[in-house]
Amino acid sequence: MANIESEAVDFEPEEDDLMDEDAGDVSPRAGHPRLRSAIAGANGDSAQRKTKGRGFLEERDSDRQRRLSSRDFESLGSDGGPGPQRSIEGWIILVTGVHEEAQEDDITNAFGDFGEIKSLHLNLDRRTGFVKGYALVEYEKSEEAQSAITAMDGAELLTKNVNVDWAFSNGPTVNPYRRKSLRSGRSQRSRSPRRRY
Amino acid sequence: MAAEEEKEFYLRYYVGHKGKFGHEFLEFEFRPDGKLRYANNSNYKNDTMIRKEVFLTPAVLKECKRIVSESEIMKEDDTKWPEPDRVGRQEIEIVMGDDHISFTTSKIGSLVDVNGSHDPEGLRIFYYLVQDLKCLVFSLISLHFKIKPI
Repeated sequence: MANIESEAVDFEPEEDDLMDEDAGDVSPRAGHPRLRSAIAGANGDSAQRKTKGRGFLEERDSDRQRRLSSRDFESLGSDGGPGPQRSIEGWIILVTGVHEEAQEDDITNAFGDFGEIKSLHLNLDRRTGFVKGYALVEYEKSEEAQSAITAMDGAELLTKNVNVDWAFSNGPTVNPYRRKSLRSGRSQRSRSPRRRY
Repeated sequence: MAAEEEKEFYLRYYVGHKGKFGHEFLEFEFRPDGKLRYANNSNYKNDTMIRKEVFLTPAVLKECKRIVSESEIMKEDDTKWPEPDRVGRQEIEIVMGDDHISFTTSKIGSLVDVNGSHDPEGLRIFYYLVQDLKCLVFSLISLHFKIKPI
């Protein structure tokens, strides 16, 4: 039974999703829309969610299913394992908790110690014009990015403690919520050893 | 914070129209497992479809969640927003924990449109949130793939 509400979030099942760890959760409920399956929590019942908006009332939009459910999305190759993923020209880290009055120079000074910064995005809040609170920093080498993470995660920058981590990952995040109840036989996969670089 | 991180999160944004150059649109989604999908289809001057995907770390998803929750978009309602029209449509769909919104509206040219609407406060929140999200997504896509996303 596809009610109107579920149609609003309908996505076709995809081949690549068979790789996902929740695939077993998806197939028995093939009648349910793709997204519903993808976002279902431990109890798998998003009907309990409070829904709001015209998007739930509209006719089935067949375009919508085709747009993001297509299989030919390009990605940089990955082994699907855990650990950070290399970007096309280097390694990107995310700095959060950045002071709203930070300047690019502040970031460059703090993060330039670990290697040459190839790119820096310090995006602004479009309403206030102040820094939104995060920065993306690119290093050429994985070791440089790793030292920046090790040294700066939790460190103080302009009176605020920042968090620093990799931006891109080789594979899906294991949802702790889902892991508890649905992943009995396959927990091994998320415990693979960290990749070495 | 731990409770915050365990909340289910999904976000999809779409803006587009169908016209002389076919269906032109920009769409991206953040999936609960960290996958970011980005699609940009412009047929103008035979531009082709850009479709990219990459897995984000939980740290990036968390920052995206922060941007969404600080915007307080989940408290809004699209009832009084301008309806999608021939000029175009925007859609935002977000799941945060137990709340699931799916809002639609027309394209918004500028703050003038926002201020002249029947729900300027709500629409302003949407307007800025969309810009902040696009900004994050464009940065991620352009840094990772070294392309200009727009």
